[in-house]
Amino acid sequence: MNYAAIRRNKIKTFFSKPHNVILLLMGIVLTFSTVAPIVAIVQDTFKIHPGTIDQHLTGMASGYTFANYVDLFTSRLARTNLWTPLWNTVLLAVGTCVVSILYGGVFAFLVTRTDMAWRKYLSSIFIFPYIMPQWTLAVVWQHLFNSNAVTGTSNGLLAATLGVTMPKWWCQGMFPSLMVLGLHYAPFAYILIGGIFRNMDANLEEAATILDTPRWRTMCKITLPMVKPAILSTILLVFGSSMGSYPVPHYLGLTTLSTKYVSMNSKYTGEASILAIIMMVFGVAIMLMNQLSLTSRKSYTTVTGKSGQISKIRLGKAGRYVIALILVFLTFFTSIFPIISFAFETFLPNPGDYSFLYTGNTANLTTKWWVTSENVTENGMYGQKGMLYNATIWRAFGGTMLVSVCCALIAGTIGTLIGYAVSKQRRSKWANYVNSVAFLPYLMPSIAVGVAFFILFSNEHFNLFNTYWLLIIVGTIKYIPFASRSALNSMLQLSGEIEEAAIIQDVPWIKRMTRIIIPIQKSSIISGYLLPFMTCLRELSLFMLLCTQGFILATTLDYFDEMGLYAFSSGINLILIVTILVCNALVNKITGASLDKGIGG
Amino acid sequence: MKKFLSLILALTMLFVLAIPAFADGGESVQDIIAQAEGMTLEELAQKAIEESNGATFYGVGNSSRGATALPLFIDYLKTIDPDYSMEFDWQQPKNNKIFDQLTADSLKDTGTFAMTLIQDGNQIESKMVQTGVLDTFIPKDWADANGVTADEYEGYLPLQTLNKVFMFNNTGDKTYDNVWDFVAEGEHGLFMDIDSEIVGKNFLYMLTEDTNAANLKAAFDALPAEEQAYFQPTIDELATDAEDLGLGENGAYALAWIKLWVESYNAQTDDGPICNTLVDQSATDQFGLLVYSKLRSVEESDSVSKNNITVAAYQDGYTGFGGYGYCHYLFVTDNSPLPWTACAFIAYMTCTTDGFSAWGKDIGGYSSNPTVAADNEEIFHHQTGGMAEDGTTVEFAALNDAGYDWWTTNGQLVLEDPEYCASVSFTVGSWIEMLTKYSAG
Repeated sequence: MNYAAIRRNKIKTFFSKPHNVILLLMGIVLTFSTVAPIVAIVQDTFKIHPGTIDQHLTGMASGYTFANYVDLFTSRLARTNLWTPLWNTVLLAVGTCVVSILYGGVFAFLVTRTDMAWRKYLSSIFIFPYIMPQWTLAVVWQHLFNSNAVTGTSNGLLAATLGVTMPKWWCQGMFPSLMVLGLHYAPFAYILIGGIFRNMDANLEEAATILDTPRWRTMCKITLPMVKPAILSTILLVFGSSMGSYPVPHYLGLTTLSTKYVSMNSKYTGEASILAIIMMVFGVAIMLMNQLSLTSRKSYTTVTGKSGQISKIRLGKAGRYVIALILVFLTFFTSIFPIISFAFETFLPNPGDYSFLYTGNTANLTTKWWVTSENVTENGMYGQKGMLYNATIWRAFGGTMLVSVCCALIAGTIGTLIGYAVSKQRRSKWANYVNSVAFLPYLMPSIAVGVAFFILFSNEHFNLFNTYWLLIIVGTIKYIPFASRSALNSMLQLSGEIEEAAIIQDVPWIKRMTRIIIPIQKSSIISGYLLPFMTCLRELSLFMLLCTQGFILATTLDYFDEMGLYAFSSGINLILIVTILVCNALVNKITGASLDKGIGG
Repeated sequence: MKKFLSLILALTMLFVLAIPAFADGGESVQDIIAQAEGMTLEELAQKAIEESNGATFYGVGNSSRGATALPLFIDYLKTIDPDYSMEFDWQQPKNNKIFDQLTADSLKDTGTFAMTLIQDGNQIESKMVQTGVLDTFIPKDWADANGVTADEYEGYLPLQTLNKVFMFNNTGDKTYDNVWDFVAEGEHGLFMDIDSEIVGKNFLYMLTEDTNAANLKAAFDALPAEEQAYFQPTIDELATDAEDLGLGENGAYALAWIKLWVESYNAQTDDGPICNTLVDQSATDQFGLLVYSKLRSVEESDSVSKNNITVAAYQDGYTGFGGYGYCHYLFVTDNSPLPWTACAFIAYMTCTTDGFSAWGKDIGGYSSNPTVAADNEEIFHHQTGGMAEDGTTVEFAALNDAGYDWWTTNGQLVLEDPEYCASVSFTVGSWIEMLTKYSAG
């Protein structure tokens, strides 16, 4: 027997299948792109950094040491620098999951399983908080609830107009942070849980009704177990994201691992890198736990057999309007009010100066933030031109569009290919590995991923800081899971016979993809492009350590928010929201896909 | 033939690699700085034109105004050579990233950044100067104006000193006439978090320096007995810590003030929001420690006014320091790709009023060149900036900037000393980190 020929033939056969080539290539590339930054950051924890604590403790200006670990875990500052931020981070992540699942889940139930009024409007408006940069809700929260009496600042809208002052715990710290993040991520829960509610077999519930089972028991024993996978998926997506959120706790005065990383980085550089690793460990742990608990579940948005009969619960003539009204009221504050507030802010003479509201004097309004064409320091412009003439803002907008479009195209394409290849080799360990390694960056807190890539690409060979290359690389790796999961879920719904028929007809792979597979599942696949695009547009935690403040819109927006120039940050927010809505509408018009239907595939 | 081609290729590569090393005749940046320190601005400009015509100049700084100053510099060079052109890119990193960025860039043979405008003397000393990442260049004209020579002068080259001063909202009855009033029971001053802006931490370090600690003791002595009684236990309690930290005889007063301040200040993200808060009539009896220049940008409205603010140190009878000062320093990077141009640009900013004009409009920022500072005052009249057009009526008292000399004498501005900050960073610094910061939440 000619074993060499057999081996050659096997290899040839293996490589003749495009999904094998994709899996091999992606496995190698993704292993490097995921492991290399982790190695770089681990190395940084042992490295001696001049002018920081490790140099002070070791007396050496270079080399490697365990001093950072010893100091972080055992010094008198361990509680301040590690344990308290860690505890706050875990609480914040858990709290955010609870709020988003409760709010998003109940909303999903009401929209999909009841005859509540105005469901279409509510469904569209509900995803707005996810469109907006997460910290802008934190800033709105401050503008609403701060007061001289409680927070020691000027009065917010509530105190200024109605004289209402909210307690401290409401204004700053854990509660507002988890509320803001919970509201921001509730659309995840809504879309994931709603997806199941929309497709679940109502026969089971009806059988329980026929057997005279109490409604609460039906809910506990039938409905909730069916949405359990979606709840776990929400936890999977939200836990890591909220853990790595920097801006929300930063603005609302909560110390977490993210905020501690930033504050420790100057003097405790190596110890700060350990904090980033701890955040990453949580990401890996969540993924392992998810795989353990759902070993049989291959997709994270479980859509079990579709029923032809979806019964809707009747809320009663008045009830359907009353509940809808309550939701309209709630979504007004989470979705509409911030936009009105942003627009109003751009016409105030000074940031947070609500004189117009209680005097009615139009002299207390201005258009200077938009139309000032000269570079002036006087009149509150801080040397900036108005937004219509502000080159920094528009250059940042261009940069953001470039990064978002590139990330969406690359992540969307790679993710779709991974989804396709994995669906073809579901039982292969390598395919499962590629699937997991592609998803891992999403579970790692954004700030930790940013730190790792900063360290990886800041050396004598590569210095990509403040380049679009770096942002595109990092954004692509972080957002591949959006597309890969979306594509995988949709590909799994596709019978293999369809492609096999084309193979028999000797249709080339490219043609099979572009003429058969992609057109059939275009809605999910487009979601895989749209989500990275939208997320990238307002991403801060991931990019904040990788570029300067005027480089992209999110860092520019954060810069203006920190500076207290709320008119500029509000204006940028409006630009972002309009951009996302226009893009969403365009894609919806052309392809029929849309965000509120597409998250998670 | 193959061998011949390989040889040619190898020689070509060697030649290409060798070009940068010999481009300036093998001169290091430090050699160039040594020569540049003996040249006038005009001579430097000539060198810059030769070096950077058609090139791109990369600068990095804590102040965005570097981007305003660079086009003016290019215009200046064009007055000498109308055909001169230079592109530029000015970056302003956040979150202390400027140090990481400069460190990463220093690893290359030839860096990207030609120069930097940077703050935080402590980190500059320990991370940039001691490690040889940055080099100081002292322009001849600047040295002449300050009555020194480049060789004699010790320290870094400051572009300007900026001050952060105590201000309070005066719509209520409360007054603050002693620096200890800011740390009295129940007070929560608005201040940028010391972990966000490290110069704030340097200010606290500087309080433990003998002169400043003595000033704090003097201010304490001026307090009425009942107010002293509130602070005395804290001062007594910290006497041992002061001794352990190797501080001078009044060290305990400094530590007490620092402790009370850290445990009481209401951390904010930036001076902008602090200013926005204080000028609003609803911020009755609130106070803050913030950059003086922020006041200039406030627009009058029904509830917001610059007259809602009192600068604490301007009050008659005020005792103690009125704020603190820190510098924007200028450096040439040790692997600067355009060292002559960097030196010329630095000389332009520090030796001409036009070069300083990007910062000159602001109150609370003082050129380190006395000639430029005087010319700037002639142009912008900051000392009478709060007067009405008639020149006699006080329109906005807080805007009448008393000037650098007043602030550093009568105003007792606590000035940053990079070497002192670096020396206590892990003694006093670690002690400060042990304190429990105030949290409004």
